[in-house]
Amino acid sequence: MPIIRAEGLSKTYRVADKQPGLLGTLRHFVARRSRDVPAVSEVSFAIEPGEIVGFLGPNGAGKTTTLKMLSGLIHPSAGTVEVAGCVPFRRQGRFLRQISLVMGQKQQLIWDLPPLDSLRVNAAVYGIEDAEAHRRIQELADMLELGDELTRPVRKLSLGERMKAELLAALLHRPAVLFLDEPTLGLDVNAQARVRRFLADINRRTGTTVLLTSHYMGDITALCPRVLLIHQGHLFFDGRLDALTERLTPCREVRLELAEPQPAAAFAPFGALESLEGRRVRLLIPQEQLTGAVARLLAMFAVLDLEVSEPPIEELIGRLFQQGVVG
Amino acid sequence: MARPAPELLRYLRTLRRFWAASLAAELEYQANFVLELLAVSANLAGSLFTLSLFYGHGHDLGGWSWDAALVVLGLYTLLDGLTTTLLQPNLSTIVTHVRTGTLDFVLLKPIDSQFWLSARTFSPWGLPGLAAGAVLVVVAAVRAGARPDALHLVAAALLLVASALILYSLWFVLAATSIWFVKVWNATEVLRSALVAGRYPVSAYPAGLRLFFTVVLPVAFLTTVPAEAILGRASPLWVVSSLLVAAVALLISRWFWGFALRFYTSASS
Amino acid sequence: MSRHHGPDRSLRHAVRLARVLLSSQYALMLEFRAEIVLWALSGVLPLIMLGLWSGTGVASIPGFTPQRLVHYFLAAFVVRQFTIVWVIHAFEEDALQGRLSPALLQPLNPFWRYLAAHVSEQATRLPFVLAIVALVALVHPAALWWPTPAGLLLALLATHLAFLVRFVIQSALTMLCFWSERAAALERLLLIPYLFLSGLVAPLEAFPEPMRSFALNTPFPWMVWFPAQLLSGGTVPVARGFGVLAAWGLLFLPIAVLLWRAGLRRYSAMGA
Repeated sequence: MPIIRAEGLSKTYRVADKQPGLLGTLRHFVARRSRDVPAVSEVSFAIEPGEIVGFLGPNGAGKTTTLKMLSGLIHPSAGTVEVAGCVPFRRQGRFLRQISLVMGQKQQLIWDLPPLDSLRVNAAVYGIEDAEAHRRIQELADMLELGDELTRPVRKLSLGERMKAELLAALLHRPAVLFLDEPTLGLDVNAQARVRRFLADINRRTGTTVLLTSHYMGDITALCPRVLLIHQGHLFFDGRLDALTERLTPCREVRLELAEPQPAAAFAPFGALESLEGRRVRLLIPQEQLTGAVARLLAMFAVLDLEVSEPPIEELIGRLFQQGVVG
Repeated sequence: MARPAPELLRYLRTLRRFWAASLAAELEYQANFVLELLAVSANLAGSLFTLSLFYGHGHDLGGWSWDAALVVLGLYTLLDGLTTTLLQPNLSTIVTHVRTGTLDFVLLKPIDSQFWLSARTFSPWGLPGLAAGAVLVVVAAVRAGARPDALHLVAAALLLVASALILYSLWFVLAATSIWFVKVWNATEVLRSALVAGRYPVSAYPAGLRLFFTVVLPVAFLTTVPAEAILGRASPLWVVSSLLVAAVALLISRWFWGFALRFYTSASS
Repeated sequence: MSRHHGPDRSLRHAVRLARVLLSSQYALMLEFRAEIVLWALSGVLPLIMLGLWSGTGVASIPGFTPQRLVHYFLAAFVVRQFTIVWVIHAFEEDALQGRLSPALLQPLNPFWRYLAAHVSEQATRLPFVLAIVALVALVHPAALWWPTPAGLLLALLATHLAFLVRFVIQSALTMLCFWSERAAALERLLLIPYLFLSGLVAPLEAFPEPMRSFALNTPFPWMVWFPAQLLSGGTVPVARGFGVLAAWGLLFLPIAVLLWRAGLRRYSAMGA
């Protein structure tokens, strides 16, 4: 039975239309005009307990809006959503005790105090006994490699230490579902890797269902066997990450180094020419023609070196969003 | 029967944690204590001086004797201390929460959000004001020759609670409007400056203002009505209406927060 | 573009700078108009005090009739509206948000920007102040009066001067932000004698004698009572008023400048 289920989930915002400048301000003051902007339309998916799912999409695609509807912060305009057997936007205690939200840009820890004070507050709020809270803090701190950072004021912590403490605070009540919105934003490579390792760890140890959005493909490729790709409010893809690559480009990139330079026209029969710099050539060749094409290339030209690779996923998705292939 | 008790205990434990944490944060700024003490003394001196301008020439304010008017001033100082201790620090964070989007975290906690937002912090710097106000009320009441019986004392205590609740509700409703107007902080400044009217007995104002301060902005119920009770001259009508106003104000604040939240959760991004 | 017209060019530059600063700040302030209305409303103290005084003791203030009292408090309300200074809060906010360092890189002392912001804010406030005065006039037609041209001119001058003096004094206090996180609390403390001694709660004529002389030796009454009396047609020592205001301004201007320099040294020493 899925722990998260969304059916036909939609959210429409009403935004005010205001022209710039003094005249626009005055006109807006007298006669407000607004229009409806769909942020998320007809999104449906189901997530089983224990899954780690990545949310992909460019800025403004509707990732955060969807995440907020799942966590109960936003009321959907249409459709149904059920998380951990509850309707999120009712925000019942039973639901809230089962979820947690971490936002890379916002923090719940008290700025002027050590994280431990915030953790004590959270323990009281979630009704966790002191001894139990202590045990959990110890355990999570070990996993996160947090030590005396917990007793230093939050404002004196580095961004990476702060995010680790945020994760600790979010997991103290052992949520069944963890929502993460850009958890590695602004972190350096090491800290990013540590956060990823921790999330994979906690998922394996406790079976916490994890749903995360990230700009860093590294987070997604390292953590999420399954991705949901949202574009302009629509769910464009739901499945395994490698299947996404397959679907985005049924092509392979072939790099050649030739003994002699050749004119561009010579490569037209093989596939799309990506670049041609003297003796170096990059070609995109459809997957099903790959073997034949490579054989013919080797036969026709004096090839010094040949390399076949998958185009990097960042590039694929970036190109996809730029071209607006998704409709 | 077993359920409410643990819930209540959880809220009490949370409250204790809240205040312990904020006390720890505030005590890093000890100089504040001296500053607040100075501010309270200077404010009291200024208020006494202003009051003396009215009484200096043998006049009075709305039929109140000097000592009786001091009870009103004492109550005002007390409420001002309450504002500094609880209302202002907590409700100013609502604005910050909305502006930075951290209200999301509060809404996702399994605890009443109005409780969290109203009780989250506690500033010890309002305590000098609370103490000064209490002392002034008692001294002035004794000097005014008040001999309140037990019934009047109970009424006075009730009315004090009512006035604190009215004040709280006013603040909370205003702070809650920050969901729509992010820069609402000034609105509470307006409230604070209008409440200055409560330094003086409401009967000292001309009829129009008196009506305004009773019906529109219930300043009368904040200081004048409890002062009457302390002085042993509360009328049942005023006591009942004061309690009624407090109950209605509290309910309105509760309803308004629910309404504001519905708006927040359907409009925020 | 001859290089010999240095003074002329720098004047042109200054005029252009002032124009750009003022227009951009005005546009900014218009964005905050709702806030500014609220601010204007939070200056109701003189009107509340008018209510109290008109109920009682008017007779005890020498030289005041009920009508003169209405004029005085209305004038005090207007004067207060145009002498509000908040540079310390703006500066504190900017320092906190890390906007100070980029501002310091510009070839313009940030205080000119704050000054432009204050002037623009007053311009934004003007219509609302007029609306409130109109409202009072509607309720109470006798409350309005025509100031004499000379009185109006002097009141205008005194109000602007009072604003500048308050701006300079608060700027000096603002510089303490470089050393203490609690500088704004000091300003709040300074506001208390201002509140009670400036004439916002009562015209100075109502003060008993030793208190009155004492108050007149502080800068406070010259910032509200003096311009308000000029505006409402009361008698005040005009020369002394302008003299006192100028003296306080001239006293604090070098203090502010020195503290600014010392503060900057400290700021850069601490690595910003």
